[in-house]
Amino acid sequence: MEEWRFIDFGIVDIRDMMAMDEAILKAGEENTFFFWTPKKSIILGFFQKANIELDLAQCKDYTITRRISGGGIAFSDDRCRQINYGVVGTIDNELFPMDIVESYKQICGVLIDTLIHYNLNAAFRPINDVVVDNRKISGNAQTRWEGKLLQNGTLLLDFDIEEMLRISNIPKEKFMDKKIASVREGLTWLDRELGEQRDMIEIQNVIKKKFEDRFHVRLISGSLTGKEKEFTNSLLPRYYSNEWVYR
Amino acid sequence: MIKTQQGIHKSKGGLIRSFVSAENGKIKEISISGDFFLFPEEAFFKIAEELKGIEAKREKVQQKIEEIYKRENIQSPGTLPADFMESIMKALEE
Repeated sequence: MEEWRFIDFGIVDIRDMMAMDEAILKAGEENTFFFWTPKKSIILGFFQKANIELDLAQCKDYTITRRISGGGIAFSDDRCRQINYGVVGTIDNELFPMDIVESYKQICGVLIDTLIHYNLNAAFRPINDVVVDNRKISGNAQTRWEGKLLQNGTLLLDFDIEEMLRISNIPKEKFMDKKIASVREGLTWLDRELGEQRDMIEIQNVIKKKFEDRFHVRLISGSLTGKEKEFTNSLLPRYYSNEWVYR
Repeated sequence: MIKTQQGIHKSKGGLIRSFVSAENGKIKEISISGDFFLFPEEAFFKIAEELKGIEAKREKVQQKIEEIYKRENIQSPGTLPADFMESIMKALEE
């Protein structure tokens, strides 16, 4: 059976993580699956503007950066009840389809298989969401580079709606209860669906197993190569710069 | 004083926000942002760049965006050149 690299980055600063993420895509030489847990942070999609999306005065204790893929804000509070993953793979038209939506579907399938393992009614919602009973539980973002793809995504275990709305650039005075209710309608998280808190490591292990089954590979724990580390270091200044974040 | 207005349009692929001003019937200032997806990402900046000076009319704007899509091999799942055009025109009509 083919062996792919697996890395658990643990709790990380998202600026370092986004640099490593890009380095695995651009300087890596093998298919890789990885997890990380972000500290209190906001990651902007490539095409978003910080001052338009965020109430910056409310974001002072958040680390903010931008990723190289499109899509919306990835917000993490300090409870760390969120599983973030990354996949880097060579687009081979089998395991990783050329068609963008099909490739999202293939990778999101790992999360769907995981949620079904917990007896939840999970499904793929094009273009890039995983839903449980039609409520979004996972957002995913993909970019491509020289025949490879990088997909990042998150599986929510818990979510602080009020905090998310507090940092968003929306009028705060009016209709706050309505806004909370509307987000609660469209979004969900695993703790809520299961009615209890499951151990995060346990869930990660289920995801790993479902990944191996879906891609017919064995995941072998590894770390960044010298080349990837060097490339990461060359990218760090950008991820830490105001020009990149507030452009 | 020329006012820059915001136009918001939701495509299947995401929300497109445009800030646009026009002068003498032509696009003067333009910035586009949002939570859509577009590959290759860097090609996106050419859209705003090349729309400057273009006649502020639906057909002209869409034609230009389509031309850039073709030349740069842009793919944007769930978002069409017409979606960007709608967002831009909404800003102009504000």
